[in-house]
Amino acid sequence: MLTLQVLINGILLGGLYGIMAIGMSLIWGVMNIVNIAHGPLIMLGAYVTYWTFTLWGWDPFLSLPVTIVALFVYGYLLQRLILNLVVRAQLFLTLLLTFGIEVAMVNLARIFWSSDLRQVTPTYAAANFSVGGLTIPYVRLWVFVTTVVLSVVFLLIMERTRLGRAIRATAEELRAARLTGIPVGHIYAVTYGLGAALAGAAGAMWGMLFPVTPMMGGALTLKSFVVAVLGGLGTMMGAVVGGLILGLAESFSSTFIGPTYPNAISFGLLVLILIFRPTGVLGKGEGR
Amino acid sequence: MSAKRWAPLLSAVVVVLLLAAAPGIVSAFMVQFLINLFMMAILAESWNIIGGFTGYASFGNVAFFGIGAYTTGVLLTRVEFPFALALPAAGIVAMLFGAVVGLPILRLKGHYFAIATLGVAETMREVVYNLEFTGKGTGLVMPIVRNPLIFFYSMLGILGAVTLVNWWLSASRFGYGLVAIREDEDAAAVMGINTPLYKTIAFALSGFFTGLAGGVYAYWITFIDPEAVFKVIITVQLLIMAVFGGTGTVLGPLLGALVLSAVSEVLATQLVTLAELFNGFIIILVVLFMPKGLMDLIRQRGFSLRYFAKNLREYRI
Repeated sequence: MLTLQVLINGILLGGLYGIMAIGMSLIWGVMNIVNIAHGPLIMLGAYVTYWTFTLWGWDPFLSLPVTIVALFVYGYLLQRLILNLVVRAQLFLTLLLTFGIEVAMVNLARIFWSSDLRQVTPTYAAANFSVGGLTIPYVRLWVFVTTVVLSVVFLLIMERTRLGRAIRATAEELRAARLTGIPVGHIYAVTYGLGAALAGAAGAMWGMLFPVTPMMGGALTLKSFVVAVLGGLGTMMGAVVGGLILGLAESFSSTFIGPTYPNAISFGLLVLILIFRPTGVLGKGEGR
Repeated sequence: MSAKRWAPLLSAVVVVLLLAAAPGIVSAFMVQFLINLFMMAILAESWNIIGGFTGYASFGNVAFFGIGAYTTGVLLTRVEFPFALALPAAGIVAMLFGAVVGLPILRLKGHYFAIATLGVAETMREVVYNLEFTGKGTGLVMPIVRNPLIFFYSMLGILGAVTLVNWWLSASRFGYGLVAIREDEDAAAVMGINTPLYKTIAFALSGFFTGLAGGVYAYWITFIDPEAVFKVIITVQLLIMAVFGGTGTVLGPLLGALVLSAVSEVLATQLVTLAELFNGFIIILVVLFMPKGLMDLIRQRGFSLRYFAKNLREYRI
């Protein structure tokens, strides 16, 4: 029974990791940027939700669209005004630039909002229900359902709309995309905006389960990366599967090995995956 | 041997000799600042071996630093080794760690390598958190030494050594091998360079000096815990110092460490967060406007705004 409970917990958490990683994977796949500022985007989303909840009493689930739009605009501008300037440079420079953005965002958050631990606590935060001896918190279940809905919506945008086709075309062949009249600078910015929006949504929901601080993003950047690589880059399904794997690994290790180990496990997992299977579980093609 | 080759070495020797006389002249505060400056310069120069010459951008060199600090810390407190033995041990352990970890992860390229090193650093922090003999999260307290000169000269000596190694790399068979790997690894392998061996040695060397700096740091600062010696901000600082000065050059990282340490020191007197924020903005500005670093800027002579504008336009989409 304990095992089943741990399994459920892992799956519910895995959904959240999944949408973090979809954003990471998208930005990476389309623009070849490993977005080290991904964690801070999640952090920003958490704070948007926190403030709308604390100042105006907005329900964290209902304010999700606001958080998503805010992060989309932020991400769009970041890419349009800054990242587009170096997007064709060698990997090290784009990596370093997002690193710089990460440091700047975290420290601005520390200055404006202090390093205090904060939490989004709607009235139903502690409510749960039991099914056959299993305890399932409502918040975790809704978070999971929301992540599934967001993933599906995102998939539809990518597969069924003109915008999605433009993004995929740009990812495949930049020059050809430009020749066919796709405004690539704009498409890049939209791509980053979408990634940021997903990260923000993940952050909004993360804040209902875990404390929010300016420094929360560092570990989440790594986890998003772990998940994106685990599942295999560029495949959206891969990110979802990777999210579930990580959620389960953490849930099981913290129950059966010790609560201080999950981070060590996930980062250790990252290094091992990179060494033995850099193309991911579902991935294909080049990796090394 | 042309004069051009020896110029950086000569200037470095003169600077080192001048600095060696400094503790007699400057204030106690200045001595502490210089120790910190030397340390950052060591970290930047060590990174330069793997990141600058070899072209493998390590984002986890702080792992070596932490391992060095903890090696010295454990040896000083748990086994009561003298510092003269505990310090070299820090370098050796970090070097061995670099060799063992380097063998598998140096097979990775680009982003994968960078994130793997970041992961290694985070994993090491978590491991130290969970180990009994490292004092877990509470950390280690070192015996206190009142006279800072031992730290001053240790750091200066290590800095001299690592600069010498960088200079040797800038014009030696081994160094050219590393540069060949950076420029085109497949071609380098075809030319008969044992690329895995070269890369691993470079990574281990980088680890050796970074570990030594960590060892001195532990004894100097007298208290270490996992948060303090494995923190990402150390990686941030050493990276921007190397990049700001100019990667793959002998004097660039030194120059970067000097300029940025001074600015950081001034800002930190106002607010520590402000100094870290400054680091973030410096990274962004350097990447956008002068990605080749100060050394390249100096080489241009009579530089102008056009230099920055050219860099800004170069990679724009």
